[in-house]
This record gives sequence, C-alpha cells and structure tokens, in this order.
Amino acid sequence: MAELPKRKVGIIACSGEEMPEGTVTRLAALRVLESLRPHETVTICLPLFLAGGEGDRAFARFHPTIAVDGCEKRCAARGTEMYSGKPAVSIVVNSDRSKDSSLMGTARRLTAMGMQVVDDVAGQIVTHVDQLLDLKRGRQTGQPATGLEILPEPAPRQAPCSCGSGIPVTTLQVAGREVTFIALPFIFEELHQAGKQPDESVQNELMQAVKIYNSVPDGNEAAYAHAVMQEYVAFCREKH
Amino acid sequence: MKQKILIVPCSGIGKSYGSVAREAGYVVTEDLCPEKTRLVPLALLVLGGEEAASELGEAKAITIDGCKHACAAKVVAESGGTVAHALDVPTVFRRHRHLKPSGIAELDENGHKLAQVLAEEIKERIDGTDGEVRHG
Repeated sequence: MAELPKRKVGIIACSGEEMPEGTVTRLAALRVLESLRPHETVTICLPLFLAGGEGDRAFARFHPTIAVDGCEKRCAARGTEMYSGKPAVSIVVNSDRSKDSSLMGTARRLTAMGMQVVDDVAGQIVTHVDQLLDLKRGRQTGQPATGLEILPEPAPRQAPCSCGSGIPVTTLQVAGREVTFIALPFIFEELHQAGKQPDESVQNELMQAVKIYNSVPDGNEAAYAHAVMQEYVAFCREKH
Repeated sequence: MKQKILIVPCSGIGKSYGSVAREAGYVVTEDLCPEKTRLVPLALLVLGGEEAASELGEAKAITIDGCKHACAAKVVAESGGTVAHALDVPTVFRRHRHLKPSGIAELDENGHKLAQVLAEEIKERIDGTDGEVRHG
C-alpha cells in the first residue's frame, strides 16, 4: 500500500557563511537531522525556495518549519515566509548575546565554545520538534522528554534533504478561481490502493487527509471538497 | 581601488558537494586571494530587494554550486548581480574522480583536496586577468 508521507518538521538553517553563528546554525541543524531526530525531521536549502520549482516552494506548507538564523537579519525565517510559508518557530543563535561571538571561533572553524553553542541550539531545535509533533518521549514512565536523548532507532548517515523533492502541487478550479493543493497524488494513491471508490462515502476521509497538508478556508469547504472529489474521480479513471 | 570579486558558494547542508563548495569559497577568500575577493552569504541574497543589491553592488561574482539546481548562480542573477563565472563541484569532480568527497559537517580528506583543486581553478581565473575575472 502506498504510504502518505509522514508528517515531519522542516529545519531551515541560514548557514550564513561569513560568521561563526551561521556555521552554528548549519551544524546544529545537521546534528538534529542526522542524530537527534533523524526520523522526524527533513531539510531544504534556503536558496532553493528561489532557485527551485513550485514543489520546493511548497515545503513550508507541507512541513511545519523551524528557521534557524545566525543573526538578527533572520534570512532563513524571512526567506521561508517570503517564498514558502511562515515558519512555526524562529530561532536566532545567541540572540541574548550571552556568548562572545569572537570566542565561538570563525565561520570556517568553530572553537570548543562554538561547538557548545551548537549543542545548545540543537537542544532548542529538538524541544521545538517534539512540541510541534506532540511527541511524548519515555512513554513507559509517561514523562514527556525535554532533553537531548538520542532515539534508539539507527540514525541515517546523511541528513534527509528535500532538495528537489518536488512535493506534488496540483492547481484546481475552486468556485471559479485557481487554488493550489499539495500532496494530492499521494493522498489519492493511498485511498485508491485501499479500494476506496470515488463517491460520497469517501469524501470525509479524503478531505481530512487533504486538510493535513492544505488550508481549507471556513465557509468554502463544500467547494473545495467538490473540486478535490472531481480530481479523485479523474485519478481513479486513469488508473483503470 | 578595484572592487573585490564576490565569491558566492552554495549554502547547501544536505550533500558533501555543498560542503566542498563552501570550503572552496573559504580557501579562495582566506588563503589564496584574500586581497581580491570577498565571501558573500547566499542566504542574504535570497531576500532580494535592497539588501541583496547593496551586498552585490557593481562587483562581479564567481558562484560555486554544489548541485544541478545551481542556487548560487540563479540567486545572484535574480538579485541583479553579475555572474562572471558559474562553477559547480560535480563538474570539477568529474575531472578528478579519485577525489570523491564524503562527510557534510566534517569533510573528509578527499573533500578538502577537491575544495583546494576547485579553489586553485578559481585563483587561476582571477590571477590570469589581474583581478578582473573573465566573463564565462
């Protein structure tokens, strides 16, 4: 059976190459992606919002995102909002200026203190990831996790990169205007493989799945459902 | 006084080639041609508008991309900058296949060697024209 892509948190680091804090954002994001929450997180390069296609720009609509910036210019947070969608969380490294920037090292080589800041920022990211996914760690004891514990599952060796992932984007006519939906083919495929016929009986289930990844304005639900159902009918017809 | 040439590397964090691009940018701007070049963070250019325009100014840019998406070259061009040369790591790697890089947060030895080779290619282009890069 086709699997609907699992909901993950997108981590977008500014990666600012000219300052140590930018390197901190990159290394902290990688630590979360590779080791701390490898199965719950995914990333995309910030410039791909501009250089990529519509599928890449749908990233922040598909994933709740955490923007990690090295300075108050907040390029990652602002760029994500400008091209894709407002980040759920915006973190700025050393925003309270509690650490002397020069002691973090250089953009090319961080010092031990710089690596400590990487640990701190990775911890902040993990906390937000768990909150966004409502993860309850340590279920045996009923205690939600707040720290940096490493998941028992084997970690992938590379960060899950969504570069060029091309999250499918479909434009439909809804009540006379064009509306862009994401992930429809994934949703249709799952329902189709489950033997769900394109009739009224599947409409609620279909729209529940659609609303996970798309915003459906109040008052327009019937029009959205009609357009999506028509598309599902066409999808099923092509499959036969 | 001549304007410094802008070196704009890929800011990718998902592939070794992105790390090679970034390291090559550091080798050029810190080790090989610090007087003639300046590193520009790609993230700032993504925002476009006046911020990007003031960062780029009238200077020529050499972009170093890590993959076929060519974000650095595209973003500089979209921001109104002048891309004098658009280089990419995979193309350089194809000429030096014995230097297959690995690692992202920490590049391996091959990654550093490939970055050095790429940086020296950039230096040749800069030196060969007395600080003024040739248009590619």
